[in-house]
Amino acid sequence: MKKKRMWSLQFSTAAFVLIPAAVGINFLGKLFASVLKLPLWVDAIGTVLASMLAGPIVGAIVGVVNNVVYGFTTDPVSFVYAITQAVIGLVAGIMAYRGWISNVGKAIVLGVVVGFIAAIVSTPLNIMFWEGTTGNVWGDALFATMLAKDMPLWLASFADSIVVDVPDKVVTVLLSFLIFKGLPKNVKLMYDNQGEIERL
Amino acid sequence: MSVLRVVNLKYKYPDSHRFALNDISFTVEKGEFLGIVGMNTSGKTTLCYALSGLVPHFFKGAYGGDVYIGDMDVLSHEISEITAKVGLVFENPFLQMTGAKFTVYDEIAFGLENQGVPRDVMHERIRESMKLLDIEGLQGKNPFSLSGGQMQRVAIASVIAMQPDVLILDEPTSQLDPEGAEEVFRVVEKLADEGMTIIMAEQKMEKLAAYADRILLLYDGKLIEDGKPEEVFSREDLNEFGVEPPVYVKISRALGLRNEMSGLYPISLEQMPTERDIQFHPVTKTNNGNTTSELIVRDLHFGYEKGQDVIRGLNVTLSGEPIAIIGQNGAGKTTFVKLLKALLKPDTGEILLNGAPLSETTAAKLASRIGLIFQNPNDQIFKHKVIDEVMFGPLNIGQTGEEALANAKEMLALVGLADKADENPYDLSLAERKMVAVASILAMDTDVVIFDEPTMGQDVRGKSKVQEIIHSLHEKGKLVICILHDMDFVADTFGRTIIFSNGGMLFDGPTREAFAQEEALRLARVEQPNITKLVQRLGYDRIILRATELI
Amino acid sequence: MNNMTLYVSRDSPVHRVDPMTKLLFVFISITSTYILSDHLAVLGILLFTFFILLIGKVFKSILPVIGVSFLLIASIIIVQGFFHPDRATVLFEIGPIAIYKEGFLIAFLITLRVVNMVAAFGVLILTTKPDDLVEALLQKGLSPKFGYVLLSVLQIIPQMVALTGKITDAQRARGMETEGGIWMRFKSFLPLLGPVVLNSLTETRERSIALEIRGFNAKGNRTFLYERKNYRYSVPFRIALIAFFLAVIAWRVIS
Repeated sequence: MKKKRMWSLQFSTAAFVLIPAAVGINFLGKLFASVLKLPLWVDAIGTVLASMLAGPIVGAIVGVVNNVVYGFTTDPVSFVYAITQAVIGLVAGIMAYRGWISNVGKAIVLGVVVGFIAAIVSTPLNIMFWEGTTGNVWGDALFATMLAKDMPLWLASFADSIVVDVPDKVVTVLLSFLIFKGLPKNVKLMYDNQGEIERL
Repeated sequence: MSVLRVVNLKYKYPDSHRFALNDISFTVEKGEFLGIVGMNTSGKTTLCYALSGLVPHFFKGAYGGDVYIGDMDVLSHEISEITAKVGLVFENPFLQMTGAKFTVYDEIAFGLENQGVPRDVMHERIRESMKLLDIEGLQGKNPFSLSGGQMQRVAIASVIAMQPDVLILDEPTSQLDPEGAEEVFRVVEKLADEGMTIIMAEQKMEKLAAYADRILLLYDGKLIEDGKPEEVFSREDLNEFGVEPPVYVKISRALGLRNEMSGLYPISLEQMPTERDIQFHPVTKTNNGNTTSELIVRDLHFGYEKGQDVIRGLNVTLSGEPIAIIGQNGAGKTTFVKLLKALLKPDTGEILLNGAPLSETTAAKLASRIGLIFQNPNDQIFKHKVIDEVMFGPLNIGQTGEEALANAKEMLALVGLADKADENPYDLSLAERKMVAVASILAMDTDVVIFDEPTMGQDVRGKSKVQEIIHSLHEKGKLVICILHDMDFVADTFGRTIIFSNGGMLFDGPTREAFAQEEALRLARVEQPNITKLVQRLGYDRIILRATELI
Repeated sequence: MNNMTLYVSRDSPVHRVDPMTKLLFVFISITSTYILSDHLAVLGILLFTFFILLIGKVFKSILPVIGVSFLLIASIIIVQGFFHPDRATVLFEIGPIAIYKEGFLIAFLITLRVVNMVAAFGVLILTTKPDDLVEALLQKGLSPKFGYVLLSVLQIIPQMVALTGKITDAQRARGMETEGGIWMRFKSFLPLLGPVVLNSLTETRERSIALEIRGFNAKGNRTFLYERKNYRYSVPFRIALIAFFLAVIAWRVIS
């Protein structure tokens, strides 16, 4: 998988077909999490898997398409966070390429980093669009507490995002990692395959 | 000039050391119908991929020899140029719908738009191909709302509209129910009559015997024989290559009926000699006398929506010998077995397992008593290794790690996958994955085992494996219930058959009697087994279930 | 069959407007509310958006969509009303807690913006068929491959959702529990999600083949099955929208 050119814009047909599948996986992750009443979103497994398989650019596209489609079909507010999802795909893809999915420990680190960066990207959006809240009850409670103690808005808003994003992304990346490790050879090969035809 | 010419074709998939195709050469002339036969790993699909350029361009790997389509060589052209001349239709109808179009009409247009066909020509070609495939009535429907047989016809129409020189069909009916398969065979016959050059890989040998001008027999990537159907099917060693001859050949072989001139067996009804008098000695399978668990169903009613009963007042006792349930799609068979497994709750009526009502237990608790093997193994497999997948159920119902491992190993051996225990289930073929799902339920060592369509997509060897499994479960004193579409298999395997139609039972009794119930079979839209039909067409008024019953 | 869109099929003047013009409207309507910080002006824009929805005969359909954002809006009002850093003037008190005028005004403004955002997207989403929008983007030069991606998502997700029932049945048949403590529920997440993920990733191979067969990578000019309907008023509408937008910017710069 090291031979793969990370920033190639020449997508194979398989990469194009992967994008809708990954968006579907995001959607079902979220669906099962709510059916099982889990206290997390787990709505980026597809994005992370796509970037592990096909690189950061495909991962980023999955992120954008995911939120555009979700905005179109359920909640227009999610258009705003298309950038966050794109960055999640990008970061996961780059770090996966650099070997941060070789074991569970590294995968956890990857999850924390993805969560942090997601929060960094979300914070200006939250401030710009809604003065710092996120709509998540726990996060917003922390946000309110920090404001009450006269901490700066940006810091409170950042903390608001962190407490929500980091645990969620750690779980998301960990589950994606487990699934990725278990992918059949024929799938991994299809996405690694920049190979040449060998003439016998 | 030949439409298609294959010269010393050799191919290995990337990361594999085995030749999937090994030194294959043949040619196809315009208007020919070429059949490809062979067992599941023989290379049929790879050959179809090679003829349409997917091997090597999509799969990469190591490629030797040449394939020419007309005067174009496959190796130095792109897939889109090749598929303009060669149309490919494969097994899974659902995956051939692009997903980007919301009506059948637009779906057929997808390829034409990509090819840059002018608009008015496009409309004309879409209409023509819909007419040819008899799907004009579906043009405004969403492709995903169609039945498998309809979808497969849309897939063929989409390819035909691109006006290829050759049409390649890779087991187009293996994932369809009998009705859908018939729909597809009808249009294949029509296309062949229109003079289309067709290459078809297929497991239903009766169909190939009827349509094909020539047959290629493949085994382990090699071309064993390229000959006329009667020559290929008359080979005495055919079974060694995992291929079962058409029923006519089986009967003729049992009776020793060869054409005296050619020494070949007849492959169609017309070729069957009529002068030979046939004697019969029907063998009735005797129950081994083992007692099994007993399921009693009393006045069972169930509907997914109020007022629309899917199961209408069922009364039956299930115990003893293995039982086959037959009937068309939508008759309520799967709903019935889900009720038996308490995955659904009856609206009224009750089900008793060894005298105790199921309503007092939950599906998860019942897991250790009743095993249900669903049609599609892909709905359940999620572990990285076959062995872990098989151990999931046993561990859930409280077997210890050692017990679970021992049971899993035993069952993997029974289904013939002992050497695949450490592989990833998704690296296996669909037929093998079905066997993983079977083992994963059997390892829970339940008293009752219910199969939903275990033979679908299996080749001859797979089917005889399923038969072996059913016998072995019965030997161990388990109650086996089986939903089936494959009547030949029912005739050969089961002593008791239930005919299901419209949420009720039309018949329940010995299999031989079941296949004598012409009215019930007609209502349930089920055909008699091939051999039964054949014997009747030869003018005998007997219900025959196996070739070995003929003298 | 549900194919995942909020599109409401009606015959209205708004439905007939071409998708690109509606897209421009969405952009201008939303950005204007963020450029302007005057309550009345933002309210005006919101009312205008509502007016368009009314003409489009889809006003009722926007309410549940706004409802999805209810938690966000409630959170904005409460948190900003009580705790906004600029709080100074007490508006009124509930027991020991004070609501501040500054925070409340900001909360009110943001709420107007959020509702307008949802409503403006609603104009596009509720009155435009997704395939018409993608078709319009394709003819504007969007790569057909991305067009494929956008449209197939809408069809593939319902197909995947339809699998969930079958998977749940299959795993319950193997003794998996979906109820119980949090750890129990968490443990059943993978058996439920795993099969869909593995399947849909494995299936990408055959789906890619299906696309390749149908000339997905064909070079050369592509054609379209349907002729693009030219919308008569798109030019004046677009000019009006842009003129409005320029005025908004000018006002902001001046004031």
